Amino acid sequence: MSPDLPILPAPPRADRGEMFRIAMNLTLFSALAAAILGGVWLATERYAAAARLAGEKRAIGELLGLGESAEVTEVEQFMAAAAREVVYRAHAYGDDAGPVRTVTFSFEGELRGREDLAAPAAAPAGGGAEAALEPLGRMFVARQDGALAGFVVEGEARGYKNRIRFFVALDSAFQVAGVRVLEHEEDPGLGAEIATPWFEGQYIGRSAGDVAKLTVTKDPMPEDWRAALAGLARTPVADWRAKHGALLAREGPKPIYAVTGATISSRALTDGLRTTVDHFRRRWALLGPQLAEGA
Amino acid sequence: MSVEPVPAAAPSAGELIRNGILTENPVFRLALSLCPAVAVTTNVTNGIALGLAVLAVQVLSSVTVALTRTRIHPRVRIPVYTLIIAVWVSAIDMTLAAFAPAVYAQVGLYVKLIVAFAIIISRLEMFASRYPLVPSFWDGLGMGLGFLFALMVIGALRELLGNGSILGFQLTPAKPLLFFALPAGGFFSIALLMALFNRIERMMGGTGAPSGGGSHGV
Repeated sequence: MSPDLPILPAPPRADRGEMFRIAMNLTLFSALAAAILGGVWLATERYAAAARLAGEKRAIGELLGLGESAEVTEVEQFMAAAAREVVYRAHAYGDDAGPVRTVTFSFEGELRGREDLAAPAAAPAGGGAEAALEPLGRMFVARQDGALAGFVVEGEARGYKNRIRFFVALDSAFQVAGVRVLEHEEDPGLGAEIATPWFEGQYIGRSAGDVAKLTVTKDPMPEDWRAALAGLARTPVADWRAKHGALLAREGPKPIYAVTGATISSRALTDGLRTTVDHFRRRWALLGPQLAEGA
Repeated sequence: MSVEPVPAAAPSAGELIRNGILTENPVFRLALSLCPAVAVTTNVTNGIALGLAVLAVQVLSSVTVALTRTRIHPRVRIPVYTLIIAVWVSAIDMTLAAFAPAVYAQVGLYVKLIVAFAIIISRLEMFASRYPLVPSFWDGLGMGLGFLFALMVIGALRELLGNGSILGFQLTPAKPLLFFALPAGGFFSIALLMALFNRIERMMGGTGAPSGGGSHGV
């Protein structure tokens, strides 16, 4: 690599035939690139979808401390703005071909209809007469040995740069069982710390009523609390809560300690949780009985 | 179509590796791809992850260009190089998402940005388009390793000073100089390390002045 490498000579002025060859050359390479990328996509998409599903399933299981025998129902929420309706589709999680129950409410919370189908009908977002359905996120209802084990609700918050997508797990008494940040674009080393156990763990054990009033403080986090939260990465949540009962009782009524240098990200997640938990409580009051009946 | 003035003899593998890591280190000597070098190096782990991804894209792109260089029309070589880089970046992106979701969760954000890294296209233009397969492979490997090395060193300095930790292991109770974890600290870190690199180069009898690069692109 000597610095006196010859510079490519300027090509002669292109005539028409030359221009055609240039265009064909670029077209050929573009077509090859498209073919290769299509091939890679075909080869990997199945595994990528499976990896996403496996990641979500693992997160739900860990958040609620579910065993192998747990049954999880996925509830997708849609809004039909034109008809002023909210539509819920419930089916066994990970099973896109099984029975589906559709429940429709008006915006005012009045039941508009309930329908059980043995197999999913064509895409719910039908065109034509039925106005387009806008997805409003998902929630998961987990049952273990016939009893309600808890809920996982998908939520979104406006982060420092882009949206933060998260799961919040609630037990059957609407107490926070855990929080998991799934996707975010916060700054590595700063805002990205919200996706670590020591930050996510601060929400554990707070009731839905507490979450509704939750604030963020810039005070430094006490060392013993930080050390205990770091242990969450290695311990199942139930064991961890049993072990640190005294600390949880001391810190439970306090605000969330912000990540140093990332107060905006810390507030964003806290605000997002507040909205998500609040919406879920009100929706579940209507939806819960409709899903339980005849199921 | 080929207007190639092929340089006499290709440098040896050892020379090319040494060249990429030290003599023409992409970050410290050529001052290329400084944006990602500042953006992702808040800790060592990120630096290593992105460095490895760049290494893979650099080697694969250099090899592809070396193999197809006689078929690329010189007038559209830059778009074609960009296309080749984009294909490899997307392929790696999709493969990571499918088979290494845990790694993808960490570096997915940065992998897509590699398409625009100046260091990769500059190696294609400066080297792979003029040399056959084998030396192009070694050049790509050397430059990729040089970039990986640079990102590791910057990441280590910033994580140590900004966070008081190395590879996530906390060494000091508090964050000693948070400034170094912030974007502005990245510039200072790179400047300090670049000065150190120049100093070492001079002590070893070199000129101490960057020999190439020029374009301070992404």
